[in-house]
Amino acid sequence: MALSRRRLIRSSAASALALAMPHVARAAETTLKVVWMGWPDNQVLPLMAEFEKRNPAIKLAVERMPFTQVFQALEVRLNARTSDPDVYIVDSPLTASYAARGHLMELDALIDQSRFAPSAISAASYDGKIYSAPFGTSMQVLYFNRALFKAAGVEPPSSAIAGRWTWEQVLDAGRRIAKPAENLWGFTFEQQERPYQLLPLGQSLGGVALSPDGFKATGFIDGPAFVEGFSFMQKLYTEAKISPPGQFDTALTPELFGSGKCAMLLGGTFINDTLRAKFAELDFGVAPHPYFAKGKPVTPTGAWHFGVNPRSTRKEAVAQFVRDMLSDDINVLWFKLRPYVPTLNAVWQREAATFSTDMWRIVQAEMQSTALARPATPGFREYEDILRVTLRDMQAGGNVKDMLAAAAQKIDREIAKYKG
Amino acid sequence: MHARRWIPYAFLAPAFIGLVIFRFTPICLALSGSFFGQSIRGASIFVGLKNYAELIGDPSFWSTVSTTLIFNLIINPFQVVCALALAMLVRRPTKLVDVFRAAFLLPMTVSIALTSILWSILLDPTLGPVNGFLRFAGLPPQPFFRSAGEALPTLILVATWKGAGYWMVFLLAGLLAIPKELDESASIDGANAWQRFFGVTLPLMRRPLAFVLVADTAANFLLFAPVYIVTNGGPNDATHLLMFEAYQSAFAFLNQGRSLAISTIILVIILAIALVELRLFRSDDGSAA
Repeated sequence: MALSRRRLIRSSAASALALAMPHVARAAETTLKVVWMGWPDNQVLPLMAEFEKRNPAIKLAVERMPFTQVFQALEVRLNARTSDPDVYIVDSPLTASYAARGHLMELDALIDQSRFAPSAISAASYDGKIYSAPFGTSMQVLYFNRALFKAAGVEPPSSAIAGRWTWEQVLDAGRRIAKPAENLWGFTFEQQERPYQLLPLGQSLGGVALSPDGFKATGFIDGPAFVEGFSFMQKLYTEAKISPPGQFDTALTPELFGSGKCAMLLGGTFINDTLRAKFAELDFGVAPHPYFAKGKPVTPTGAWHFGVNPRSTRKEAVAQFVRDMLSDDINVLWFKLRPYVPTLNAVWQREAATFSTDMWRIVQAEMQSTALARPATPGFREYEDILRVTLRDMQAGGNVKDMLAAAAQKIDREIAKYKG
Repeated sequence: MHARRWIPYAFLAPAFIGLVIFRFTPICLALSGSFFGQSIRGASIFVGLKNYAELIGDPSFWSTVSTTLIFNLIINPFQVVCALALAMLVRRPTKLVDVFRAAFLLPMTVSIALTSILWSILLDPTLGPVNGFLRFAGLPPQPFFRSAGEALPTLILVATWKGAGYWMVFLLAGLLAIPKELDESASIDGANAWQRFFGVTLPLMRRPLAFVLVADTAANFLLFAPVYIVTNGGPNDATHLLMFEAYQSAFAFLNQGRSLAISTIILVIILAIALVELRLFRSDDGSAA
């Protein structure tokens, strides 16, 4: 059959359309750039996959970063003041810092406050507006290895709140169990250098970590309560030698406990599932967070949120991300993947059967009466960084009072820029 | 003839353009940036000499300068001596000399970041194999990076492990360029090995040594990765070097102006020390090294 001009034009147009279709389809897809915490694959990928399943037109390009690097990496990206990333993980006390510097979009229109614990909304707010989305909070419990206690002939701690151990009891038990020369330790903090983990030492003795207006550390973090609390912490590494020094990688300390090298670990609730999955033979129990005998019980809390870059050009997609990630179903999924303490009321209701264990009974009691969030200040980033290095250095010895005084001065110098 | 006058400049142009883009421009930007501050919303504010004045009045800055100068006073001659010793060892074409040359060069192939991570694991006081070996040998375990007294010497040793092989290459080239006849005639005249080294070899190594010392000085003043990855400037600021302070000022404390002021001061210090070093290597007839 001869090829007519009309037939040629029609077939050319059809070919061109067929070739263009994939590009058209791709152009209709939106990709959101997400910076997330470097939690394990099996805890993050199903979460993100669930969102993509619900929203086939939105793809997530998720970058996960290790805990020790994510905050500084985010600083570099955010200070470039571009649209990258669209969404990012936010440590709740950093909400004020990011919001004050113009790195977070207001989320009031996207969040129904009545669905959340009031403390979660408070942690998500700055200057009366909601800037970050609550995605779980935290609580610490004392994990203990029953076999190591039995082998040393030491009575383990009780799981009952009324039987809460003092730090003095932890030290005594640790001394009787630890054999540092054989790499067997009595006690370790999960986060050996983080203010989140260690501030309760001073707060248990009545210390206040920062001035109420959030702009002064001198006279607060370097006060007698924190000097005493951190001196006790230093003793665990130097004099008593019941804690392994220099273990600043938060992935290592649960490994030490799980592999039977450490009798007690003060760590988050999410470690429980990891221990059961990875160290099935380990016979361990949980007990409440210790306190100083002459003080009062104080426990750390505070949350993982996520925030939206106000410079993002994909406003519809990020709004959908916020709505879906805060939905009941996805929050229940997140709780099952990594059991942080829920901030969404619906999770407490739907997973009520889970909360009947020793650990969750402790958590609920602590959240009601002893939990204390980190100090609220737009300069939290600087506060935490300076204090973290100081706490790390204390393990090697040195005058705790002088070290805290120097840190307090540095903190005051750096926080001053937020006063306006 | 007139038309060919531009030819040398044409050959030099690519390197010069590279220098302008990657060296001179950033230096000018850093210098101008050091006269500015930043609001918390990112707006630049001209502050004049305020950043420099604050640094001069800051005791922690002077402590950092002191640590950095002590670090460089030790590591620069130490690394050059080590590099020269290695170069002397692999200078003669003996059996297996290529194996040894490759072995000494191997650390150079590992990035500084990976070097830092590897050595922090090896030297971990609790779990590290180095202390495991010391215990096995009946020696007391050492804190290495975890001790304020040992952290800086440990950093010097790790940086030397990484850098000595690299600088050895330049010194080896210098040694191989020395005519063998000079050494032979000194030997015939009765000079022993040490006399030949100090009387013949070292004077003829003046230029390579000057180059290596100046370049090594610059590299060590700019050392950052091991401090960032392993020590965070500690313990108790024992390894708090100027480059780390510049990084912290910019990315931890969000003070770009202070960071650029520190960078400018580092540049001035390097220039001053380099001039002193070049002067030391000036030959007796006054010609430059």
